[in-house]
Amino acid sequence: MTASESMPHKGGFSFDLCKRNEMLAQKGLKQPGFLKTVCFDLLRNNDLGYFYDGVILGADTRATEGPIVADKNCEKIHYMAPNIYCCGAGTAADTEAVTDMVSSQLKLHRYHTGRESRVVTALSLLKSHLFSYQGHVSAALVLGGVDVTGPHLHTIYPHGSTDTLPFATMGSGSLAAMAIFESKYCEGLSRDEGIKLVAEAICSGIFNDLGSGSNVDICVITKGKQEYLRNYMSPNPRTYISEKGYSFSKKTEVLLTKITPLREMVEVIEGADAMEE
Amino acid sequence: MNCPLPQAISPKSTQFLPFYTQIRTKSSIFDCFLRLNLSLMSIFEYNGSAIVAMVGKNCFAIASDRRLGVQLQTVATDFQKIYKMHDKLFIGLAGLATDAQTLYQRLVFRLKLYQLREERDMKPETFASLVSAILYEKRFGPYFCQPVIAGLGDEDKPFICTMDSIGAKELAKDFVVAGTASESLYGACESMFKPDMEAEELFETISQALLSSVDRDCLSGWGGHVYLVTPTEVTERILKGRMD
Amino acid sequence: MMKIDLSGLEASAPIKGNTVDSRDEILGVPSFALPTTADFDGFQKAAVQMVKPAKGTTTLAFIFKDGVMVAADSRASMGGYISSQSVKKIIEINPYMLGTMAGGAADCQFWHRNLGIKCRLHELANKRRISVAGASKMLANILYSYRGMGLSVGTMIAGWDEKGPGLYYVDSEGGRLKGTRFSVGSGSPYAYGVLDSGYRFDMSVEEAAELARRSIYHATFRDGASGGVASVYHVGPNGWKKLSGDDVGELHYHYYPVEPTTVEQEMTEVAVA
Repeated sequence: MTASESMPHKGGFSFDLCKRNEMLAQKGLKQPGFLKTVCFDLLRNNDLGYFYDGVILGADTRATEGPIVADKNCEKIHYMAPNIYCCGAGTAADTEAVTDMVSSQLKLHRYHTGRESRVVTALSLLKSHLFSYQGHVSAALVLGGVDVTGPHLHTIYPHGSTDTLPFATMGSGSLAAMAIFESKYCEGLSRDEGIKLVAEAICSGIFNDLGSGSNVDICVITKGKQEYLRNYMSPNPRTYISEKGYSFSKKTEVLLTKITPLREMVEVIEGADAMEE
Repeated sequence: MNCPLPQAISPKSTQFLPFYTQIRTKSSIFDCFLRLNLSLMSIFEYNGSAIVAMVGKNCFAIASDRRLGVQLQTVATDFQKIYKMHDKLFIGLAGLATDAQTLYQRLVFRLKLYQLREERDMKPETFASLVSAILYEKRFGPYFCQPVIAGLGDEDKPFICTMDSIGAKELAKDFVVAGTASESLYGACESMFKPDMEAEELFETISQALLSSVDRDCLSGWGGHVYLVTPTEVTERILKGRMD
Repeated sequence: MMKIDLSGLEASAPIKGNTVDSRDEILGVPSFALPTTADFDGFQKAAVQMVKPAKGTTTLAFIFKDGVMVAADSRASMGGYISSQSVKKIIEINPYMLGTMAGGAADCQFWHRNLGIKCRLHELANKRRISVAGASKMLANILYSYRGMGLSVGTMIAGWDEKGPGLYYVDSEGGRLKGTRFSVGSGSPYAYGVLDSGYRFDMSVEEAAELARRSIYHATFRDGASGGVASVYHVGPNGWKKLSGDDVGELHYHYYPVEPTTVEQEMTEVAVA
């Protein structure tokens, strides 16, 4: 074991298993293009509307792993800063990691400068990271927020290119959602009209795209205020719950049982505050 | 002049549909009779495994099968796939056994380091973030395993979560599954799970879900191993299952 | 659509009377429509890989003093998925002859049924039952004519004829072997282990049945693609008889009984300081 292996990493990727995995691939022990199934591929459809001095972000809540719906109620709108949120499509681990990383950089930057984060700062950090990995970090993002310069909305592609738009969609359901935006978006929407439009666009993705599904999450950001409306709509409740539950005709046969009583936890009064995570 | 950009670096033209179509090409049908066709076998299916965790009322259960195989050959039927991290925290590692064991050792190391520094046990949420970070560190050369984490957190609130091999967390309120039998497990759990089960009912449900699922999977089974954790005690049970 | 010419595969038994088209359709060797593609072999390979429900299997058969013992498991799998636990892998060709199934389920079932027809025709034409050697050769010839076209069959033909017990191994590569002890399928190495160590020619029927059952059980234990029910058939001078069909799940605990135990354990180590 190398030193870098045994000691907690200082950050950054580690490539020490790449050679081994490549060897395994050459031996034919894994299917070609393994990342497709290795990863949780979150196919997300995220949309966003623009309204008078604010931004509305929306997303569905389905995560898939190949043809399997792995998570029926995941969160795709990530926190970046109090005034900035970000919707992520693509490989789940990548969107999660990249947004977390930039969010912590933004926080440090705020400590350093004592000013509210700007959306363009987040944008630059995200795109420069993604560009440096040449599309291998497959995160497709919609970044929205309100800062001193007003409301902003950007899309970021996995290769690092960006767009600045009044309304945008990303993910596998982007076509379905964009159809709604293109036909119904207009300038000067009120808050409620905006939310309604975004929800409708997401629903269009949920019902017409197989990679999107379940519920609608909405996040409304205005000057000095943000509302995260988790499960704003739940158009797909379970329809097949048995009231009586499931009863088993034959009990499981147990070969060995080992019971370990847990010791009563001793209450430790600590002076110092807990350091978590 | 007529030199198109390579696919990998054509920036704006990237649509996200390819991803979608790509993941639908999972080849799960492979030839496993007379002659084995290894080239289509996923590395996740090399050893075979089935792991499931469920939440009950102030308790949780985590269960696994007991087989260690090399493709279709069964090598051991008492293989440990669920590891105790501390009294109220367990991790099940599905996938390639060699990576699972290596990963487990690294996790123990990091956990002990934390315990020494903080003089307390790690919360399940914190542990999940640790596992996620360790897996994502190897984003481009991953450990071929899928972890299932289950523990009792603050005020004995149950916590379960699973991840893919590069650390994308999937938090669930009801149940999580992993391994070669995951597809059957999803089905069994969806129909058998009820919210707020008491410990004994939870045990029965998770055991039935596990045993019925592995009976439809060639690569897992050969008995079951269940940990049932309540705030006051840990019950470990070995299940009688089909040995074929 | 082109049709492959299979005129050379007509039944070897002389059939009297007029040749009618409809008779050809029923009794002749079936011919299959071929796809119109330049790369026939490639297409065939890909198509077979895609559609064929692959079966992991353990089958075995052996000759001993009282006849032939034939046994098989009953699992059908597609990749890692178990598609059935109750497949009949021992095919009853006629009251004196059995065939076993390993490889593609459809290929085996179809060609065994086809063989059954041919054997019956032979019987009608010659007023005597076909020998096991003859039947197995008929099957081997058919399989050889389709060699390289994607059929997947590994079978044993076991039966009793005028010369006594007969046992042949036939496969889709065109091979045909006479022998006293065979096992076919993904679980065969495990079955051979038990079979070879426990085999004696002068076993009683009961001993032979137990050996066959045990061999299948051990194969299902070690082989992921074998399982379900271990069925055992015996072929004697008066034809075949099914002796048993035991669920392997119960067989294990019959061979290795276990007693449930409870261990209560006080915790000794200290969890938190």
